[in-house]
Amino acid sequence: MADDFNTDSMLDMYLFENGQLLEQLQETVLEQKDADSFDEDSINEIFRTMHTIKGSSGIMMFDNITAVSHKLEDVFFYLRESHPEHVPHVELVEHVLEVEDFISNEMEKIRGGETPDGDASDLIKNLDKFLDMIKNGGAAGGEAMPEPVHEEPKHFYIAPMASSASRFYKIFVHFFPGTEMSNVHAYKIVYALKEIAEDILYSPEDILSDEKSGEIILKEGFRILLQAQCNEEDVRELIGVGYDIEKVDVFECNADQFLLGFDFGDDQPLKVIDLESSVEEIEAKEEAKGEEGKPKEAEKPKIVPGDFVIQSKEPGKQKKLAKDKPKVEKASFISVNVAKMDQLMDLIGELVISESVVLQSSDLKVPGLNLDNFNKAAAQLASISTDLQNVIMSMRMVPLTNTFQKMNRIVFDVSRKLGKDIEFVMVGESTEVDKNIIEHISDPLMHLVRNAVDHGIETNEERRESGKSEKGKVTLSARTEAGKVWISVEDNGKGLDRDKIMAKARKQGLLEDNKPDGAYTDKEVYQFITLPGFSTNEQVTEYSGRGVGMDVVVQNIQAIGGTLEIESTPGFGSTMSLKIPLTLAIIDGIVMETGGSSFVMETGVIKQFIRIKQDMMINEPNGDEYVMIRGECYPVIRLGSWYGLSDYQESVEDGVMLILEVEDRKICLLVDRLVGEQEIVVKPIPSYIKKVKGLSGCTQLGDGSIALILDAPGLVE
Amino acid sequence: MSEIDDMIVRTDESDTQKGKYMTFKSGHEYFGLGIQYVQQIIQYQAVTMIPDTEDYIKGLINLRGRIIPVVDVSLRFKQGPCEYNDKTCILVINVKSTTVGLVVEQIAEVVEIKEGNILPPPSIGRGDKGHNKYVYGIGKVGNTVKLLLDPEKLLYDEEPGDSEQERMNEEE
Repeated sequence: MADDFNTDSMLDMYLFENGQLLEQLQETVLEQKDADSFDEDSINEIFRTMHTIKGSSGIMMFDNITAVSHKLEDVFFYLRESHPEHVPHVELVEHVLEVEDFISNEMEKIRGGETPDGDASDLIKNLDKFLDMIKNGGAAGGEAMPEPVHEEPKHFYIAPMASSASRFYKIFVHFFPGTEMSNVHAYKIVYALKEIAEDILYSPEDILSDEKSGEIILKEGFRILLQAQCNEEDVRELIGVGYDIEKVDVFECNADQFLLGFDFGDDQPLKVIDLESSVEEIEAKEEAKGEEGKPKEAEKPKIVPGDFVIQSKEPGKQKKLAKDKPKVEKASFISVNVAKMDQLMDLIGELVISESVVLQSSDLKVPGLNLDNFNKAAAQLASISTDLQNVIMSMRMVPLTNTFQKMNRIVFDVSRKLGKDIEFVMVGESTEVDKNIIEHISDPLMHLVRNAVDHGIETNEERRESGKSEKGKVTLSARTEAGKVWISVEDNGKGLDRDKIMAKARKQGLLEDNKPDGAYTDKEVYQFITLPGFSTNEQVTEYSGRGVGMDVVVQNIQAIGGTLEIESTPGFGSTMSLKIPLTLAIIDGIVMETGGSSFVMETGVIKQFIRIKQDMMINEPNGDEYVMIRGECYPVIRLGSWYGLSDYQESVEDGVMLILEVEDRKICLLVDRLVGEQEIVVKPIPSYIKKVKGLSGCTQLGDGSIALILDAPGLVE
Repeated sequence: MSEIDDMIVRTDESDTQKGKYMTFKSGHEYFGLGIQYVQQIIQYQAVTMIPDTEDYIKGLINLRGRIIPVVDVSLRFKQGPCEYNDKTCILVINVKSTTVGLVVEQIAEVVEIKEGNILPPPSIGRGDKGHNKYVYGIGKVGNTVKLLLDPEKLLYDEEPGDSEQERMNEEE
């Protein structure tokens, strides 16, 4: 029993960690799919990821995953160590994604309790072939497996003159005598300068591993050679003036002087900084040098003292301050079971209720009590519990980034298969949405993106003929507006064909007989494509054209209270916009009372509150009632009689009319009185109770009582 | 959430709970309900009524942040409405991950009934069919008997008996 539990949790951990690694991997790969090659960071990252997956899969004895990840690791080991040229990048990207797919697939099987039995031999064969190919291409067909660093020198010595805009500085930093850990302070400076540096050298070299370096720095000062494209002030600013720094001297010099190195007769070997690596990697490399850096040793003697070494991939190209590749500060996350979150939310709700029970306790109403201190403490408590509520709500909000990344993958796959050249742009992917909603929009969004690539964007030839750039463009954007999230999928393809849609609609008998075609607005016409079984694509492709899709999209979106809007300009593309609520969990609502029960109505649908006179009412003989307000006639629903409540206000003059508007239909709702507006935490009505028309949920009010949430569309019907 | 609760209830369900029944009084009868279904007992509290539902569904209560439906047992058994007083309790039960509160007139005690002491209900009832469809057995405890309830039928059984049929017809 105990053992079972143990492997279970190990398995959970395995699935969770590797799932995250794969997600990250995909993100990295897709980010650079359009580049000519992976940059060094990514190669390292992919290598490490594969290494980790290989290791953990080995432990869990998932042999096929181990084998595949091992192969890919080999490929990236080669890339990392040998820097082969002529690597077919797109092919490489595909290989990585294939491996990722395979592993995800297997992990899905594991999650479902099956054995991961996928056959990896084809994949491995392909990878082998690929590896052979890049080896032959990259290493000029000669060497079988070149020694890792043999080719490295290509990147290694690059004359600083390559960059004419660069400026050269010699920097001397003096620390106050007695500063502890001066080597660490020195390293901080180096780290700061790395952001702008095209090249940086410093002495003493071993500031991280050699503790004695601290003494040297204190005695002789810390010396830095810097090549960068910024002025002296920037440099000074980056170094900063800490409490520990006594003096900073910055001398600008020319390239020749720079080449001479430190003019204070330094004969220590200089340190090379790999600009593309992170600090940790440098540290790791320092350690690794002993083992794998043998060839490097061999290179060393070539470095004449005073000479210096550059390892920069793009000399001459300005390194913008940290903008080149934003090193996003990694936030630390823990993953929490959603059930626990829900529990926490419930508990907080309870806390709020008991708070109001305490604060409004009848014991406090005894006259003559001095409650000053109590009230102070109560206010404090109230503000804390409000904060607490806000925090828990924000915890449920998740950025759309992951969902968008998935779409990126889809565009890549589909466009490759269809042979279309497509640029995919994401805007506002950090927009945050409630977790429940994210789960619901992923599929609809996938459909829309797929449609855009498949139907929207023309083939390359068609584009050329119509004089457009060959590269199609699909933009996925998200923004928050007026409490709603707008997610649009925009393409610059051919747009929707109104005539085609009309023809199809006529064939399916969707058009009214006596209505001329021109009487349909574009909006109405485009709505046809959201009907079941409606697809104008004559040819069923692998991705779309079966006529299921748009109707499913609309259904899914409506299920979470969202809408789909379609805009299109023939020849210029179309835009599909999803408008969805920010959160399902909280709405702004008006609380009102009728017949002793509390009800809530979403604020958005209420157009107006109005008190009316008896003579404004119109009664039909069949019992229907209408009210005439400013020349407009609205049907009236009395909430009390609608639900058969007792003790509600019979007279319209005692109650309040709410004018509701749902999709251009207006009705009036008569309630006894209004209580106020507040944020409402929506909870479903327990499923045990069969669905009641006009109710969409329930909520708990501040005093712990329950109010029913009215569903305006249900009432309008 | 409710599934997890369910799991907790199930795992708690050890041998110590076997053969134990929570008994309560409704009308003149004592009923018993397997203790593994019972989550907690709370005092009667104000119920928010829901329009357009069966009359035995009293409405909703707020149970520590969870909103659960409440069923009046005496109305469910067609014993006629009972008066709510200090002794009225809400028995919160969990059946197949559905949590429901039962309004009962009075909670009695937890009794242990051996399987040998449980008899099938007499096939010919006392004319009151409302009882029998929820009762799966009659447990003998000393000189008294407890009607043992099948909670699933209690909650879900819509299979209309004659009286039930009439009532449904009236509604429609």
